[in-house]
Amino acid sequence: MSVEFRNVVKRYGKAPAVAGVSFTVDAGTLVTLLGPSGCGKTTTLRMIAGLELPTEGRILIAGRDVTTLGATERDVSMVFQSYALFPHMSVLENVAYGLRRSGRTKGQAQKQALEGLAQVGLEGYGERQPSELSGGQQQRVAVARALVLEPSVLLFDEPLSNLDARLRRQMREEIRELQRRLGLTVVYVTHDQQEAMAVSDRIIVMNAGRIEQQGSPRDLYERPATPFLARFMGESNPARGHIRRLDTARVLVTLGPASYEIDNAIARNGEATVAVRPEAITVETAPGPAGSLPGTLAKASYLGTHMEYTIDTEAGLLFASCPKVERPLAVGDKVALVLAPRGVIVLEDQAA
Amino acid sequence: MNKAALAWSAGGLLAAVALPWYSLQEGLDSAAWLSGLWSSEDYASGAGQVAVQGKWWLAPSLLTLVAALGLSIVPMMRERRGRVLVLVATAGLVLFFAQAFGIGLRGWTADWLNALFGEMESRQLGIGAGATVVLVALLSLLAIGLALRGAFGGDAFVAGAITTVAASILLFTAWPILRILVQAFQDGDGVLVPSLLVDRLAAAKIWSLRCLTGGGRCGVAWNTLFLALCCGAGTTSLGLAFALIATRTGFRFKRTLRVLTVLPIITPPFVIGLALILVFGRSGLVNQFLDWAFAVQQTRWIYGFQGVLLAQLFAFTPVAFLVLIGVVEGVSPTLEEASQTLRADRWATFATVSLPLMRPGLANAFLVGFIESIADFGNPIVLGGDYGVLSTEIYFAVVGAQLDYGRAAALGLLLLALALGAFFIQRRIVGQGSYATISGKGDAGLPTPLPNGARRTALWVAVPWAVFTFVLYGFAFVGGLVKVWGRDYTPTLDHYVKAFAIERTADGLIWSGAAWNSFWTTLKLAAIAAPLTAALGLIAAWILVRQRFVGRGTLEFATMLSFAVPGTVIGVAYVFAFNVPPFEITGTALIIVLCFVFRNMPVGVRAGMAAMSQIDRSLDEASATLRGRAPQTLAYVVLPLLRPAIVGALVYGFVRAVTTVSAVVFLVTAEYELATTYIILRVINGDYGLAIAYSCALIVLMLAVILLIQLAVGDRRLGRRAAVLRGGRA
Repeated sequence: MSVEFRNVVKRYGKAPAVAGVSFTVDAGTLVTLLGPSGCGKTTTLRMIAGLELPTEGRILIAGRDVTTLGATERDVSMVFQSYALFPHMSVLENVAYGLRRSGRTKGQAQKQALEGLAQVGLEGYGERQPSELSGGQQQRVAVARALVLEPSVLLFDEPLSNLDARLRRQMREEIRELQRRLGLTVVYVTHDQQEAMAVSDRIIVMNAGRIEQQGSPRDLYERPATPFLARFMGESNPARGHIRRLDTARVLVTLGPASYEIDNAIARNGEATVAVRPEAITVETAPGPAGSLPGTLAKASYLGTHMEYTIDTEAGLLFASCPKVERPLAVGDKVALVLAPRGVIVLEDQAA
Repeated sequence: MNKAALAWSAGGLLAAVALPWYSLQEGLDSAAWLSGLWSSEDYASGAGQVAVQGKWWLAPSLLTLVAALGLSIVPMMRERRGRVLVLVATAGLVLFFAQAFGIGLRGWTADWLNALFGEMESRQLGIGAGATVVLVALLSLLAIGLALRGAFGGDAFVAGAITTVAASILLFTAWPILRILVQAFQDGDGVLVPSLLVDRLAAAKIWSLRCLTGGGRCGVAWNTLFLALCCGAGTTSLGLAFALIATRTGFRFKRTLRVLTVLPIITPPFVIGLALILVFGRSGLVNQFLDWAFAVQQTRWIYGFQGVLLAQLFAFTPVAFLVLIGVVEGVSPTLEEASQTLRADRWATFATVSLPLMRPGLANAFLVGFIESIADFGNPIVLGGDYGVLSTEIYFAVVGAQLDYGRAAALGLLLLALALGAFFIQRRIVGQGSYATISGKGDAGLPTPLPNGARRTALWVAVPWAVFTFVLYGFAFVGGLVKVWGRDYTPTLDHYVKAFAIERTADGLIWSGAAWNSFWTTLKLAAIAAPLTAALGLIAAWILVRQRFVGRGTLEFATMLSFAVPGTVIGVAYVFAFNVPPFEITGTALIIVLCFVFRNMPVGVRAGMAAMSQIDRSLDEASATLRGRAPQTLAYVVLPLLRPAIVGALVYGFVRAVTTVSAVVFLVTAEYELATTYIILRVINGDYGLAIAYSCALIVLMLAVILLIQLAVGDRRLGRRAAVLRGGRA
């Protein structure tokens, strides 16, 4: 079912944690709320759950106004960051808890709970205590416990932050697979940009209590609207350059002696902030091909899979990541940078 | 339709028809009221009072219940229903209190009401069962209305719990204390005279300094203050010696020392005083020995300042010990090790690092001793002699021949001011928390042993004191087993027989012992009060830790404040607040139970809050998102995890109810006499044998009950890895 926020504000005392947010989550999609800590993403999620009630604005779930309803009365379940498994109950009792509270009989609740455990691959673990399970297994119990209620919306609050890196990748794939298979509507909170891109249909990036930008992962990475977003979604080098409008959809960007034609509907000429993705920079020994950007190598580090270089150029210090590790360059070398146009992004200055 | 609102408004209306509105002399259990519900002046229900007795002023608040009933049935938008319900319930409450306080035993309660409406012929007694249910129903409807509007997380149960806790604290703590304030201004006829308070507070009997100039006695305020300062300093020094030995030396009997900390919890407060009389009293052991060995005249030197101080030092040193164990353990060993690597020897480390770090903790212990001393009633009444302190002076002003309520109120205010002053200073010191060197990081250092000089001093102070404390308790036990202490040391069970005799007659068993009456009353009232104390305390803790709402800080402050109010003040305040309509419960068992509950609840709140803040909040939230309503979350998730705190609150609620003296001396009656007040009277009459025998029986009773509660509630089961309460994250 869909979730809709209309101008929702949440204040604690005077300070707004969420300062006027509107968005819609379509039924059957996985939408991620992404942002740095303190940006209001978790508060937004908790307002969907009904654990916090908004100070202003309306919240609709499946078209029904639920603004003043508490968590118990909403058809929503949540997987918590700490999993929040009840430590005094067995795994099966944990999964059956919500079913019992919604009025199922004991036998029925147990049967459904066992099915739920099977769905997350935990057959036979019902009699264990939560503390006897590994982190990944606890996580699955938490998912099963939320899933068996067949909620309109399933919420995840940083579900992977307590797992190690390897397990994190596996769990996020499992969550995505489950969501697709069952056609669930999921709202997912994370501060990890990669995780967000890996699981989401759409991403809502939040900053300082507001929505910074929303769209598909590709939209956000390739066409970030603000410097914040360019920094937050992957790495990027801020640089000063000139832009000149070519037609309604194309812009010529000039960085020092080099220029690039890129897709952008920006309708003005003059100075602009340009973001350059590190992976779009190829570092060649000077003089390099025509139209490349000359510079001097300032730092170099070897990271096994790739080299990281910092290059001093006319457009500022640029950070580049190069897959070629066999013949590294040395600090002080004169180099020429070739930029792939898809990694050059014109940002709208906030002030402009 | 809203089921909760429907239930409460219907319930309220039912009570307005089927229960007597006013309180009954004989209580509800004699069923005589059943036949008079409609027509009898005394027994009539709210509806009956309006229709037959012409008490028209009850009608408006009853009509608001009818309106609420209608509101809960008519289909309506959730928020709109909430808004109207809040309006209706507020109107009902205002009307209810207006009539309850406006019309009393002699018609209108104020002159301007007389002037406005003319003389009132009718009169009103205190509110009874019917009115109470109506009041609770109106409060609940208000809570439901607020919850419907989205307050308190939109949860009617939470709203109800918060309203209940707030209203009961308001009624049973704030209101009585406010009454003391008013009483201090009132003359004998109840007229407010502002200058009276000044006169009463400035009385020479309170502030005289004649003892310094050599002529006569000092005022009770100075007495209290001086005693409290000495007690605070003494208990802190002794407590520090104990704490250092227990944590920083290899002393062999450390465990035995810790037993000391348990004793005062299960001992009625005057037992130490009694034991001191056995040793140092006029016919005590010491005097007898001196008389026998050196023919020294037997004296009453123990009665007075020195006796009370000695008793308080014995009684409260364990408390300081308990506080200071935490303080000494809180000093990070790493800091001491750092000091030693910086060329400081053990003594320099102790003097320049450890002690300064303990300073705020020492100040806290001092204030605890100070507060215990000024609130103490049992020891001064037993040993004070001519040395009056505020708590005993208040008692004599109310109970003695003076019968001067105004003076009692003024003295009560003074005592309250002292206690609150110390309490605020203590909160500030503890609140800064600068001495807490415990951090989240692992602290691998070993505590540095005490330097030799300090160790020897601590041992020389603490060991004799500890031995003497145990000896005193021993005498207190033996004292009940001899004929007449000081004259005839023949072993006997006479005192126990006199107190607890059971005779077998033709009519069956007769509980003929002198103590049975007060014993059963104590047991019964404490058994009623303990679960109520624990329940209210834990609910309040749950609200304070888990819910966010307007006024949370105020509520928390109010519960903590009521803890700082000395028992004597609460006792007097209850007498003032609850002996006139609308709340007329003086002389009943109810007022004693209420006094127990609201005096002891703050400790339950603290224990509950401490325990609850160790349980991850997301467990509650998980339950809520899994369709667990607030009461279900409490029952299935919170309470099972809180078992240790429940045991603590139950035990404390019971034990404190059994051992308390100061508050209840004002509230007991011939019908409802309590063990402690009975014992105090025996002591005042010089009947020590019986008093001691009874005290020992009480201690045994409490130990038994503690074991029983422990067995009944049990431990929480958390699988193998206990102590991990973070929602399954191991």
